[in-house]
Amino acid sequence: MKIHIDKTKCYMSGECYYNHPEIFKMGDEGYPEVIYSDLDKNEIKQHAQEAAEVCPATALKLEL
Amino acid sequence: MSEADVDLGPEIDPRVFDSIDFQKNPFPVYRQLRDHHPIYHDRFHNRWVLSRYWDVDGAFQDNGSYDRAMYKADGPYEFGSRHIFGPNILEYGNSDEHRRLRNIVAGQFVGQKLQDFIPMIHQISEEVIDRFIDASEVELVSQFASQVPIRVISNMLGLPREDEDMFVTWYQHLIAGLGFGGEHLMRGLNARNEMWDYIDPIIKKRSVDPGEDLLSRICTAELAGSRMSAEEIKGFVALLLAAGGDTTEKAIANMWYHLMYTRPDQMVLALENEDLWENVFTEMMRYDPVVHAQFRFTTREIEIHEDVIPERAGVILYLGAGNRDERAFDNPDTFDILRTDLHMGRENRSGRYKDGKNGHLGFGIGQHFCMGYAMARQESAIACSKLAARIKDPRPKNSTHPGISSPSIDSGGFRSPEDLWIEFNR
Ligand code: HEM
Ligand code: SF4
Repeated sequence: MKIHIDKTKCYMSGECYYNHPEIFKMGDEGYPEVIYSDLDKNEIKQHAQEAAEVCPATALKLEL
Repeated sequence: MSEADVDLGPEIDPRVFDSIDFQKNPFPVYRQLRDHHPIYHDRFHNRWVLSRYWDVDGAFQDNGSYDRAMYKADGPYEFGSRHIFGPNILEYGNSDEHRRLRNIVAGQFVGQKLQDFIPMIHQISEEVIDRFIDASEVELVSQFASQVPIRVISNMLGLPREDEDMFVTWYQHLIAGLGFGGEHLMRGLNARNEMWDYIDPIIKKRSVDPGEDLLSRICTAELAGSRMSAEEIKGFVALLLAAGGDTTEKAIANMWYHLMYTRPDQMVLALENEDLWENVFTEMMRYDPVVHAQFRFTTREIEIHEDVIPERAGVILYLGAGNRDERAFDNPDTFDILRTDLHMGRENRSGRYKDGKNGHLGFGIGQHFCMGYAMARQESAIACSKLAARIKDPRPKNSTHPGISSPSIDSGGFRSPEDLWIEFNR
């Protein structure tokens, strides 16, 4: 699975990396970065889906 | 000369934090802290203090190092914020539990959910204004600021409109009990008990027969497979009253106070252009926010400014001081609703903005970032612009005012004027 972050849409609300620190961290400029995580594939998928739903800018897209 | 222009030199007597002078005008001490003690060890109160913009911001962001609750291996959590209301979300530190609790309600105060409530905020503001418009004067705190937010929350909770006045009275006694203590405390506790008696059967009913309202949502939310107890639900309701009602009330009062007494020349601008009320809100949240300090506990040893904060130490994050840091804002001691170096739009949990400007720290940042940020901003701006549209030529009734003061930081109270009389024409 891949997570695409559309930086033109993202306005650095922070919701993804604060709600899901197991998948994202804040990069230097305030945009999210995907990090390595030891969750299993299904859990990651589920959490990533949740993050994409919550993103107020619809800036997260999942490639399953 | 602004009130912050006093130079107190480098020496700080930690007893100053308990003094009336500090409660009335903390800004000279904030400057001392920033300039001479970017990390200050207050041995008298046994805690540490951060005051520069980027240090406060950094600590809010660094949840791994600064937790809101203190974990003790041999006992229960000990909390940064103890509340007479009962257990609530604030008490879960930085745990997963906190995230789950937060997610139950966080979505209720933003986006479409919030937009659905906007007409109701307009209506309630108008109704409250109707009550005093014929008098040509208003005591803004008790007759307006403390009325609107609590009625809005009562509506969101889905309580019957005819019970609203009762609810407002309980709330006012409760908040006075928290803030002033003494005889107010007894009245506050009585009000709390009456309020709980009122709400208990409603909780029971909504738990089995939920509606679309916020209370039903809290009653039926499942956390790790089970629902919250009645005590926890009431803790949640109380949190909304204090964190959502009391703060917004005080925000509205601080906005008018600073326009009337600090920048009357800019009050004219806001009265002429309703779009500027969001700027008034934002600059108030920087210049003199309702909440000036938050507590944290260190979870590890922290090296900062060539000093070391030990593990499990109490740390005060002075967001009120960070907001006045010239390292982040030009002429920080000037109240200016047209400021170009402050992000004036909606706040973010990350505190980072595409316009490259710095935001105020008044809602905190990061994990515990205020959940009501969007609602507080819209509600304050709407209520104030409605009032501005209805009253003509508003002016302070008294030419001088004793000023805003904060309760002691240890009481957890909020900073705002006790009263604010406005005269106006119809
Ligand atoms: C101008 C008005 C307001 C101010 C100044 C304010 C201020 C704050 C601050 C500084 C925090 C961060 C606490 C920390 O970092 O430990 C916070 C958290 C919180 N606020 Fe607000 N707030 C306001 C309005 C509201 C409203 C309208 C609501 C709800 C309807 C609300 C609900 C909350 C809650 C539930 C938290 C805790 C969030 C968490 O721990 O995850 N606030 N607020
Ligand atoms: S939730 Fe969306 S808008 Fe917010 S930081 Fe993440 S990607 Fe950006």
